[in-house]
Amino acid sequence: MGLRIVKRDDCPLWKKCCFYLAAVVIALGLGAALLASLGVDPAAYYSRMFTMGTIGNKIAYKVYINYLKEWVPLALTSVALSLAFKMRFWNIGGEGQFIMGAIAAAWVAFQAGPVLPVAVSLILMCLAAMVVAGLYGLIAGVLKVKFGTNETLMTLMLNYAALYVLTFLGETKADWNFFLDEKSVRPVFASFSKIVSFPSIPMGEKFTLNICVILTLVIGAAVYVYLKYTKQGYEIAVVGDSAGTARYAGMKVPKIVLRTVFLSASLVGLAAAFKVGTAGILSTSITDDVGWTGIIVAWLSQLNTAAIFLVSALICVLQYGSTVAAATFSQVDSSFANMLQGAILFLVLAADFYTRFRVVLVKKGGKDNGNG
Amino acid sequence: MEMDKLGVITSFIHNIVVYNIPLLYGTTGEILVEKSGSLNLGVEGIMAVGAIFGYICGCYANSLGVGIAVAFLAGALCGLLFAALTVSLQANQNITGLTLTTFGLGVYFFVGNGLKAQGWPAMNDYANIKNGFADLPIPVLSQIPLVGRGLFSHNILVYLGVAIALGMWWYLNRTTPGLKLRAIGENPGSADSVGINVTRMKYLHICLGCGIMGIGGYYMGLNMSGSFNSSCWINGYGWIAVALVIFANWNPALAIGGTFIFGFFNTLRVSGSSLAAAFPGILGWLAMIPTQLYQALPFLITAIVLVVSSIRQKEGSGLPAALGLNYFREER
Repeated sequence: MGLRIVKRDDCPLWKKCCFYLAAVVIALGLGAALLASLGVDPAAYYSRMFTMGTIGNKIAYKVYINYLKEWVPLALTSVALSLAFKMRFWNIGGEGQFIMGAIAAAWVAFQAGPVLPVAVSLILMCLAAMVVAGLYGLIAGVLKVKFGTNETLMTLMLNYAALYVLTFLGETKADWNFFLDEKSVRPVFASFSKIVSFPSIPMGEKFTLNICVILTLVIGAAVYVYLKYTKQGYEIAVVGDSAGTARYAGMKVPKIVLRTVFLSASLVGLAAAFKVGTAGILSTSITDDVGWTGIIVAWLSQLNTAAIFLVSALICVLQYGSTVAAATFSQVDSSFANMLQGAILFLVLAADFYTRFRVVLVKKGGKDNGNG
Repeated sequence: MEMDKLGVITSFIHNIVVYNIPLLYGTTGEILVEKSGSLNLGVEGIMAVGAIFGYICGCYANSLGVGIAVAFLAGALCGLLFAALTVSLQANQNITGLTLTTFGLGVYFFVGNGLKAQGWPAMNDYANIKNGFADLPIPVLSQIPLVGRGLFSHNILVYLGVAIALGMWWYLNRTTPGLKLRAIGENPGSADSVGINVTRMKYLHICLGCGIMGIGGYYMGLNMSGSFNSSCWINGYGWIAVALVIFANWNPALAIGGTFIFGFFNTLRVSGSSLAAAFPGILGWLAMIPTQLYQALPFLITAIVLVVSSIRQKEGSGLPAALGLNYFREER
């Protein structure tokens, strides 16, 4: 008797959900064991984390507003990256594209903000961020199409090039550097939140909904439709499945690749514009690692736009909730969220195996038992 | 005065070696992993895990050897996790590697901050660690003027790193298991068909490679004199190592040279100003260059190397053909 792995074509959705749910529960269980070993009541910690400390909190609306501020860039970046991933183009350059978009948006904010109406400035910020980030992403795209350069490694390198451009801007005191605060002796980024900022819509008594949240939802829906119901979306799927098939069907593969990479990167740039336009200031940690986390979110969601919204919302709860909980439970560092996130992903990746394959017992010496 | 200037050069060379050998560990480890056909983007996280556990256990045991062993084991365990997910469970390598980075950094800060609250072991309190990490000059060679102390008077981990790199070159290019490993990286299906146990080879070398990265992390911790603060000891070295693999064309012996080249820029960033002060005439301009350029250079150079090698196509490239692709026997 031995074990053999066989591909399975159909795994019903409910079964998949059970697998994933089991993975998350096991990860939380492991986390609970760790918490208990530190002398922390896991139930108390988790309830604090998952509610983000909103229960019995008079300023809970602030928690929601801050939470959404973190969710918008992550969700939009994940959606953007899923476009490229669907085509099996490994755009892991989200960080770099985000940074370039953020710089472009801040540039426009400083230059156009004081002279143009706010609405015009905001639109220009978005457009500039999209174009710059899109072109930055296109570098790896062009090289891939022209020379077959490995896009995973290329986008990885470009992430760091962008990061050091940003730190250069943040640490260099000079006359030309309008990104910095003139009044400060030490180099610090200047704030433009009083000049331009994305507006919020008041809802209920105190809660205000930032317009970026609505825009993110609209863009997500548009990407969903684009991928599922348009010719271009279909082309992306075909190229992703097999570039050879696409070529045989008469599709212009390079054109599709370049178009999609530009679109993917420019949406990452838009996420950066939302982030910068809400924060009102640049920072060397402006990305909050969304370029990395976004990759994980997109993959966890199996590149499904609706699932991306759900998964990114959960990951944000994890991250935001753990900083809140760290304030109450001083023994537990907020990096617990990263460990938990890692553990969940490892287990989901393992569970994923059972949705794609099944293990069958085979008699020694040959034929399987008919399940293959 | 003249002697002093020479001293600046000597300590510059010395620093290139001392502060950048962790890169060599990360790079050789990743070369071994990539030669088996797996792209592991978790170097940063694995080095962090090796660093924190190696440092703490080494201090408590008051033994450099224990530190090295624990760092290796911690790294190898991360490798085992990576291998289990990507080799056995067919998970995507990019995602698994990136998750390993997130997870590893999480573990690093969780353990580090947790222990710091209770009392952080200071490396200088442990005589065996302090003395074990001291420089061991190589007789005769270290007496060479100017470069002698810079190149041939280092701590034991420097020599170990170079020995691992040279040993790995020999292993990959001159032994049968090395040949088999390279065959798997090029085409696992063919390797399987001639009777090589692909799964076992991949597990073994992924664990071994990740263990080596772990030692590099430990070295990094010792270099930072083990003081724990808000930024990670590894601080991006893991990513530079991923770049260096490409720069060294997947050759561990070339990785030694590559480490010195990347290390040269890295060290210029730190001590460029002292060089400029010692030689204002010739090197005065060094003080003008923004430090961020030095930080970005390893990545920019690697990007150029990537493009050039892809233009020249496969000719002489050490890039394993099956890099990043999972091997599923039924689809052979």
